[in-house]
Amino acid sequence: MGRRRRLVDPAAEAGAGALPKVIAALSRSLPAGPSPEIFRRAKFDRPEAAPALWQLLFRLLSPRSADGASASLALEAQVCLVKSALRSQGYPRLVLAQLPEDGSRGSRELLLALSWLLARGPLPEQLLAQAHVQLGDEIPVCECEALASPGPRVPHVEAEGPVDIRCVQWLMGRLRFRWRCLIASQQEQCTLLSKIHLYTRGCHSDQRLGHLSVAETEMLRDPEGGQQLLRRLERENTGLEAALEWRRGELVFWRWMDTVLGACPPEAPAAATQPTFLPRIAERGLGRLELAARELRALQEELCEATGRRRAAWEARVGGQGRGPQWSSARQALQKAVEQELAALRWAWEQDRGPARPHGPHRLVRCEDEAPGGQHLRAAEVIQALRSQEACLEAALRRLQGQCRQELARLAGALPGLIWILPPRC
Amino acid sequence: MSIVTVQLGQCGNQIGFEVFDTLFSDSHSSQGLCSKRENEAYRASCKERFFNEEENGVPIARAVLVDMEPKVINQTLSKAAQSGRWKYGQHAYFCQKQGSGNNWAYGYSVHGPRHEESIMNLIQKEVEKCDSLSGFFIIMSMAGGTGSGIGAFVTQNLQDQYAHSLKMNQIIWPYGTGEVIVQNYNSILTLSHLYRSSDALLVHENDAVHKICAKLMNIKQISFSDINQVLAHQLGSVFQPVYCAEGSFHYRRNPLEGFKDPALYTSWLHPIHALNVWKTQRAFSKYEKSASLVSNSQFLVKPLDMIVGKAWNMFASKAYLHQYTKFGIEEEDFLDSFTLLEQVVASYYNL
Repeated sequence: MGRRRRLVDPAAEAGAGALPKVIAALSRSLPAGPSPEIFRRAKFDRPEAAPALWQLLFRLLSPRSADGASASLALEAQVCLVKSALRSQGYPRLVLAQLPEDGSRGSRELLLALSWLLARGPLPEQLLAQAHVQLGDEIPVCECEALASPGPRVPHVEAEGPVDIRCVQWLMGRLRFRWRCLIASQQEQCTLLSKIHLYTRGCHSDQRLGHLSVAETEMLRDPEGGQQLLRRLERENTGLEAALEWRRGELVFWRWMDTVLGACPPEAPAAATQPTFLPRIAERGLGRLELAARELRALQEELCEATGRRRAAWEARVGGQGRGPQWSSARQALQKAVEQELAALRWAWEQDRGPARPHGPHRLVRCEDEAPGGQHLRAAEVIQALRSQEACLEAALRRLQGQCRQELARLAGALPGLIWILPPRC
Repeated sequence: MSIVTVQLGQCGNQIGFEVFDTLFSDSHSSQGLCSKRENEAYRASCKERFFNEEENGVPIARAVLVDMEPKVINQTLSKAAQSGRWKYGQHAYFCQKQGSGNNWAYGYSVHGPRHEESIMNLIQKEVEKCDSLSGFFIIMSMAGGTGSGIGAFVTQNLQDQYAHSLKMNQIIWPYGTGEVIVQNYNSILTLSHLYRSSDALLVHENDAVHKICAKLMNIKQISFSDINQVLAHQLGSVFQPVYCAEGSFHYRRNPLEGFKDPALYTSWLHPIHALNVWKTQRAFSKYEKSASLVSNSQFLVKPLDMIVGKAWNMFASKAYLHQYTKFGIEEEDFLDSFTLLEQVVASYYNL
């Protein structure tokens, strides 16, 4: 683990009270932050400090969406999750993995793990951004959030004995039903949002927004709800102030962490030779990459040649055709299909490009005029992009279903005397 | 969450009227043995679900009426308007003059495509009036030509146009000794088509309801009006707003406990998943206590098997087939229907 550079900062050396203050600020900016006393005991590896630190790490590492459910997880389960999460992020010290599962020991090691997480990135700020109070009607414009947080972990259960296919069919039907109910309620939500935006036109003090959001309307309608919102905003404010205070004094913390690291016994020599858990491309892998790049370039040239030949042949065959009224509608349909495919392809390629693409949640604002703002995103564009993506996925699904059906027919054909009747609804 | 009802054919329209009437009467009946606030919540929920509020206060049913002859629609519209308590939309109906001749093929292949745009436009108008659409409720009979043929066609269209909405079809199962000769053809064609495009089929057998009228209610001369009222009563109790089961049961001897017996269910589904209980404080339609049971069971296997068998016998001797083939329903379509329904019967036998 790297050691922070020693900066002799006169402001940071101001008095013995600075350290507890900084740690308290850190705690306030994190969810479930323990008291400075816990930190102090952890430096001396006192066992009573361990549970609080396990729980803090659990809150920091568990998926955001599972807050309510995960709070009730037993300490052993939290310990397990923390260990595996740290391992998958590449935490290098093996001592952590060897700590007992009941969460009774290891407070100093946990303190080191916490500071490792803090050193990797702006953790308090990230957590605050995630818990940010939204006043507007936010909707996502991309799939990233849905794909990144897969929800609470479902325990993997092995089926006892053969599973009755009828049960599976029933479950599929139930799932389909639930999906439709979800879509229906989403549509209802959209209708209601539209109504609220329409009815509250001209009510917002901010001219650019023009109308109220649901949260703002609720605040006016129900004073108790307004009080709750106010309290949430105050809590967020407190968190932000704590994060600022933490940043101002964090050098004090790091200097203290150096002493904590110093207090640790040296790691066993065998541990040092263990490979780290970070993935590394092996030496020979680099050679393979070169080969792959060459092959790709050759393939691209071949493709260009092939398409060139095909196009020339087609043009020669079609010749003067392609004009006249009966062609225009066919051509229009073709153009539309090609445009759709192109848009979908572009969408697929641009998946990995950075912030150029619309990303994350956006505030929904109903606007009459065509205000072209740099940050503004037109709903029509987003819908268009999503539609072409949908068309792509549907085409892929149909292709796969066709392949599946062919395979099944082949298997059925191999058995003599078997008549294959496909299920009516595909 | 609102439901748009589509009433098709003579049967569908007559029953539809009774259903709306029952729902309205129930939601406006006095207090219903619960608190005033509870009652108002119930009424508001029912109203939002089935009716649209107009300026002058008379609720308008969220319904589209379709029939190929004008008589029943006119009767239905005027009955509702006369009551003064609720009514149908002024332009929420579509009718023609010629009828379907009890021919599924005529309803499906001729009337359907010909009037597709008009009918779907009417439905679209109703959908737009809803803040949030729960789904569609389609009332039709199986044995005739309009309800069955156009019903199948419309359900298919709804599947295409509103793929995410739920569709439930209320099917009237004809009398075993019914008067329409080709009712079995119409039935199998309807069922096989609905299987593909509907989400749920709620079945009422004329024979069963007839028995209720005769034995339980002791009605001497049973008319369709009696039957429709019993039907509407059952449907009403299923559709009225309820809460999901939560909290413990208040009464010790709860008859619903008996439903948790695993012997009632298939081996591959635990009773906890198969049984859903919904309760409400508010009593339905002046009853002190009532319960409705909706089940997906093997009850219909025998009747279905019988209809398929009879239809097959007719088909094997090619009786009346030309009535269908001349409107575009080929023998292939019949065979597909038979195959599908045999599959359904087999799955139910093998539960």
